[in-house]
Amino acid sequence: MTGDSRATSESPRQKSIATPETICAGCIAMVEKDGGYRRAEILSKKTTKSGTQFYCNFDQFNKRLDEWVPLVRVDFTKEVEWPNPDKDKPKEGKGKKGSAPSKKSVALKKGQKRPSKASKNSKREQSISVSEATTPHPWTELPVELPQLKIEESNERGAIDSNAVATPATAGDEMDLDDEYDSQLAKKKRADGNGLGGGYTREQEIEKLRTSGSMTQNPAEISRIRNISKVQFGKFDLFPWYFSPYPEAYTQEDLIFICEFCLNYFCDNKPFTRHRQKCTLLHPPGNELYRDDHVSFFEIDGRRQRTWCRNLCLLSKMFLDHKTLYYDVDPFLFYVMTCKDDQGFHVVGYFSKEKESADGYNVACILTLPQYQRKGYGRLLIQFSYELSRIEKKLGSPEKPLSDLGLLSYRQYWSENILDLIIACNEREEKITIESISEQLAMTPQDVEHTLQALKMQVYHRGEHKLVIPDKLIQQRAKAKLKKKRVLDPARIQWKPPVFSAASRTWAW
Amino acid sequence: MTTRKVRFKKLNTKTQLPVLREDQIDPNEYESLTNEAQIQTGVEQAEENEYHLQSILKASGVSSDQEIPVPPPQESDIKYEQLYSRKVQQTVSYLRFSQTVEECVGCEYDMTTEDAEFLTGYNRGKKQAVRLSEDDFERLMECFERTAAFQAPFAVVDKAVVPYDAMMGALRELDDDKLMGYAKDIYEYWKTRRQEAGNKPVHPSLKFESHQETDDMDPYVCFRRREVRQTRKTRNRDLQSGEKVKRLRREIEEARQLLLTSRDLELKKQEALLIESKIFDRRAKIKQTKVKLGIKTNDEDLINQKVGKRCAFVALEIAANLLQPQKRKAVEPSPTVRPPPTPQLRVPLRPDARSVEPDMVLLSDKRADKENELRLDIESKVQNHQTWNKNHVDLTKGPLSPVSQSGFERRYRQVKAQFPLTPPASQEDAEPNEGNTNGSGVGLELMSHQDRSLLSPSPQPEFRMRIGRLGRMWVDRRGLFSEPFDAVGNSNDRWKYDSDSEDETDVIVMDPNDTRALKFRATIPLPPAHQLTANRRYAYPPGYVPRTGAISQPPIRMGQSQPQAQAQSQAQGTSS
Ligand SMILES: [Zn+2]
Repeated sequence: MTGDSRATSESPRQKSIATPETICAGCIAMVEKDGGYRRAEILSKKTTKSGTQFYCNFDQFNKRLDEWVPLVRVDFTKEVEWPNPDKDKPKEGKGKKGSAPSKKSVALKKGQKRPSKASKNSKREQSISVSEATTPHPWTELPVELPQLKIEESNERGAIDSNAVATPATAGDEMDLDDEYDSQLAKKKRADGNGLGGGYTREQEIEKLRTSGSMTQNPAEISRIRNISKVQFGKFDLFPWYFSPYPEAYTQEDLIFICEFCLNYFCDNKPFTRHRQKCTLLHPPGNELYRDDHVSFFEIDGRRQRTWCRNLCLLSKMFLDHKTLYYDVDPFLFYVMTCKDDQGFHVVGYFSKEKESADGYNVACILTLPQYQRKGYGRLLIQFSYELSRIEKKLGSPEKPLSDLGLLSYRQYWSENILDLIIACNEREEKITIESISEQLAMTPQDVEHTLQALKMQVYHRGEHKLVIPDKLIQQRAKAKLKKKRVLDPARIQWKPPVFSAASRTWAW
Repeated sequence: MTTRKVRFKKLNTKTQLPVLREDQIDPNEYESLTNEAQIQTGVEQAEENEYHLQSILKASGVSSDQEIPVPPPQESDIKYEQLYSRKVQQTVSYLRFSQTVEECVGCEYDMTTEDAEFLTGYNRGKKQAVRLSEDDFERLMECFERTAAFQAPFAVVDKAVVPYDAMMGALRELDDDKLMGYAKDIYEYWKTRRQEAGNKPVHPSLKFESHQETDDMDPYVCFRRREVRQTRKTRNRDLQSGEKVKRLRREIEEARQLLLTSRDLELKKQEALLIESKIFDRRAKIKQTKVKLGIKTNDEDLINQKVGKRCAFVALEIAANLLQPQKRKAVEPSPTVRPPPTPQLRVPLRPDARSVEPDMVLLSDKRADKENELRLDIESKVQNHQTWNKNHVDLTKGPLSPVSQSGFERRYRQVKAQFPLTPPASQEDAEPNEGNTNGSGVGLELMSHQDRSLLSPSPQPEFRMRIGRLGRMWVDRRGLFSEPFDAVGNSNDRWKYDSDSEDETDVIVMDPNDTRALKFRATIPLPPAHQLTANRRYAYPPGYVPRTGAISQPPIRMGQSQPQAQAQSQAQGTSS
């Protein structure tokens, strides 16, 4: 899944006025968000004690801002765009591919991320209205709005919701058949759809679904919807951003508990309290590689510490859209950053890294936990990943796709370091090559170039490529340096690149 | 900026780039930015255009005041200090740690609110001492859950419920007698909980792959096993490793069993020691009392004489011997240890808890019995042997008669002895093989032909010339005649006139040990394919007694001349 909300789909849809009764999953309606109305796709519908609620994905907003909204926030005076069964099918197929990647594609990639599907011909670009992007909307009311009520009956919700849109009448030729999985899916869909035929109306389809017994919600839709409401973790309550495959029973809870040290999860306060009386872990279960007054880094082997690493992945999946838990954690090492107090070494963030990356990635997934975000920890994590690459005498790059937050963090780290380097060059009146920057920073030349381009520093002038540093950036850098941001001291790293035996390679650990 | 199109040279990463500040370059000549249009961000295309991200990217600075909004975390209202009461120790060196989560969380079952309610009810009305603690409750539940997961891994599907009896093994391993009293009750409770959960584990668990088609579609299925890479080259090695691991597992299991048994043994020994010391104390008391009261009976009841006890010791002794065979030798020299003639009050205890005393005698008796048994066995075997040999003729009179005149040492090697593989046709060749009718058994094709010239004495004298030192010449000469050698002596005569068939005209018995025959056979190359069959279809020469004691084949028949027969005869010759 792509976050590619159908709200931006170009295909013409039927439009008409809807009522609270007829509006259903798959519809695009105007829904109030941050004080204004925004196009939103309804992904699911549930009825709670306080009335009907809709799970909305807002046009041009990241999925982490999706939320359950009550009826009152939907604008029924405006026309609603109805799901278009024919046109939306191909998308559906791709959506599934994203959430449960085909064995083929992932086996090849074996990363911890869902494979990116960069369809070059996306028409979305044209629909962006960047001019609107003048004032960012600060986050305001999400916690209050979070649904605190349980979904009553799973089949009840399945009956009317997204099944409607998930049920294909004719999968059609537009289906993207580029791999086996999709084609299987297509067959399946056709088979499912056979009974429906062409002549059924939408209501009949729904009715058919209601009685045919296939009441389970479309899996692709399930993973588009955040399933855990709230997490008690350490001193904080966290509000998850994305779906995470914790046991399905946990999704019925208003609050789940996670032990800060072993990361085990509990659906109730009682077992959690019991667990806390027994749990002796006070730090991530691995070897400490780095320590200064501020943070420590631990190295955890996914194979050795399978439970802990699985727990970490489940936790981080709630905040990483593109992470996949499709495969097990064995082939990864996890580098966990902690900060210490009397109670122990608290997990602040981590990055995972393939034991052997065919693509030369030095980071698979990277996350600073929400309660520690915007405090400069991300920069430390990124720095550590490059310090490790430096020790390995390799050039590293993070696995793609990056999330929006990931891109910003990396851009910032890259820009700062490249700027420092070339400002010094400028002062010494020296020339520099991309290769030399890349080696000094253990970054790939591509990342160096992209950063230079993004900062508009790479210039073609009088038949010659040059690096030109904008004044604005020099000033910004000088100002930032005054702030004394924390950095890691590479001399404190005690680490030798781990070596994995031939046997472990054979078994693909 | 010019209107003409600027042609960019592609930037090589090794190109030396001058680094300038914006003010070091004429803004009018600020020709063009390369690749302004598309910069790869690495963000998924659909998300790249998201509103909040774009608004920040447009600002295009190193640091930005703008932020992407996220659902913010809150301070939790839990009692953190209480829940996380353990304090971390300060270490100077970096931590090194390899324990797993499972090893750090103690009992893996955490009781739920429902469990707590049940337990309160269960303990109600019970005295403090006999109440079931939360810890013990969890241990029992953990035990049941684990056993169930192990014994009925497909419980969700097949609805199998592990019966209480099947839990006993695991319960015993808890090694806590006081828990056993509660086990049955908690088992019943566990069973209800389990049924309520649809025969799944009481605590919901992650959904792992079930290898069904639904797996791929189910977003809750996670942490699949990765398909093992195709490694054909090493497959064999992998199989071997697999076998090795299996064997290791087996051996470790055996070792475990051994440890368990020896632990039992040690416990028994300890018990015996304790009893022994108790008895000793009692006896000491009796003696004291006797002395005090002036009773003067004999002290026979103060020494170890009870039969039951003695037996116990013998059993112990035997067990000990089984475990340590070498110990037996140490005991053996003293089988004649007798109870001391005078009653002895002090029973010396050996370190292995056995008393030196009368028991020994019994052991030596046991040994004698064993020897008897062995002797009887041997005798019966001898008897058997004799019955086997009944009605068989013994031809073993002279199996190793010394070779007479025709010995190799008396003859010179024939210089031009190139024998044809197929011997010249002889009269016998034409004759049908009647080995079977003769009762010589399963198609035995016996050595039949020999070069006539070897069998009969060579008709011509042979000479050899050698040149020695100083040019001296030597002529060696070989006799004209040598007597036929009859290795088995007159026994040949027995079949001289035997005939099973009228057609059978000529049966020649020959000695396989005849040097000439050996010599000849040695020259026949044996086709390798025949080697095995030849050995298997072994033909005994007359007079040869197989080790089984029975005489197998009466005569050796001649009258065949095929290479196969030669092969057999050679095999026979070399191995007899
Ligand atoms: Zn814990």
